[in-house]
Amino acid sequence: MPALPLEMVAPLLATGASTRMPNTEPARFKPGDAVIARNIHPVNHTRLPRYVRGKRGTVRADNGTFSFNDTVAHGLGHQPQHVYSVRFSAQELWGPDASPLDSVYIDLFDRYLDPAP
Amino acid sequence: MTSLPTADTAMSHDHDHAHGHDAPLPEVVLRVKALEELLTEKGLVDSAALDAIVDTYEKKIGPRNGAQVVARAWTDPAYKARLLADGSKAIAELGYSGVQGEDMVVVENTASVHNMVVCTLCSCYPWPTLGLPPVWYKSAPYRSRAVIDPRGVLKEFGVDVPADKEVRVWDSNAELRYFVLPERPAGSEGLSEAELIELVTRDSMIGTGLPKPVGAAA
Amino acid sequence: MNGVHDMGGLQGFGPIDREAQEPVFHTDWEKRVFALFFGGFAGGFYNIDMFRAEIERMPGHEYLRSSYYEHWLHAIEALLIQGGAVTHAELQARIAELQAAGRKEPH
Repeated sequence: MPALPLEMVAPLLATGASTRMPNTEPARFKPGDAVIARNIHPVNHTRLPRYVRGKRGTVRADNGTFSFNDTVAHGLGHQPQHVYSVRFSAQELWGPDASPLDSVYIDLFDRYLDPAP
Repeated sequence: MTSLPTADTAMSHDHDHAHGHDAPLPEVVLRVKALEELLTEKGLVDSAALDAIVDTYEKKIGPRNGAQVVARAWTDPAYKARLLADGSKAIAELGYSGVQGEDMVVVENTASVHNMVVCTLCSCYPWPTLGLPPVWYKSAPYRSRAVIDPRGVLKEFGVDVPADKEVRVWDSNAELRYFVLPERPAGSEGLSEAELIELVTRDSMIGTGLPKPVGAAA
Repeated sequence: MNGVHDMGGLQGFGPIDREAQEPVFHTDWEKRVFALFFGGFAGGFYNIDMFRAEIERMPGHEYLRSSYYEHWLHAIEALLIQGGAVTHAELQARIAELQAAGRKEPH
């Protein structure tokens, strides 16, 4: 018996599979906080791209709690945590020749961040 | 595992049957056929279900959904407020929801901000509003350059962003999916929602384009 | 992992090639791969994170020179074999049969 029979297709596609979880975890950061993305280089799956590691940004929003892709990929559990929308200025990422106005916004898990001094 | 074929099969036009010149079937075609046959024989997949999935994304879900959301936001300020506050909920009001759009964030283009969306790590894209992403969105040139040279990318797409306007690039690296609410074209005040839908291009909702100007051919 | 998939900020990939009036799928096999992803997912053989991780494990040069849906096929094959849905030997045998049948087909 296939796990996905014809009649389940429409409901599956319309519902999807959100990874949002109840907000039971404490948020270490809040909008306005200055943060630094950790300089970590996991050999396993991560959603922390190299171009932000070690860079300083500002939390713009707390998107709520989600399961952690890095651990779910390896059967290591959901490890729910807050995901923040963090703004990095173009100059912070790419140096003084970059636009002084532009920015990159990226969603970073609580565990990817340290408070900036 | 046999090695992958070298041709970029996204650009080739191989078919599922040999032509009169006795060309062997491309290896990738055989791999897919073998996989589907075996899984079907083992009762693990149902062909009709697979057909329905293809049909959904080929014919039913596409950028016209997102264009409706945009046109509604342009004409209904209360809807726009709801859309910016809780994207998934407001988009679901119009009947669009589901896979790769479970957690939507709508970002608004304004006189001072131009937004652009990318997934540098893979191809994350808001399927319920835009359908499946185009090849360019999933390819190395866009994924690499969008975050480091967004103005260069926009120029390549024919979008001129004034020097005093902030360009914000949203990297969809987690499970939130981003959707750009473009600025309403000048002179469109008298248009109906149906007419406004025709102005909203797919690229304007990714942020690599602008809506068509009023009076442009459909 | 620090794989080639982590592309933000890389340079030298050239212009962004865009196809006018691009179809949703370019070939029939892409359609089937796309749909098979859901079959495997619903069958519990992988979640999206395992799927992405498997693509990231492709040798870098293969990742760069293969197409998007070839990445999908690579991951789906690997995860279905890992999960015991099919074996590598079964797949190879079927591929060989299909290849032979293709050659024998009258034109």
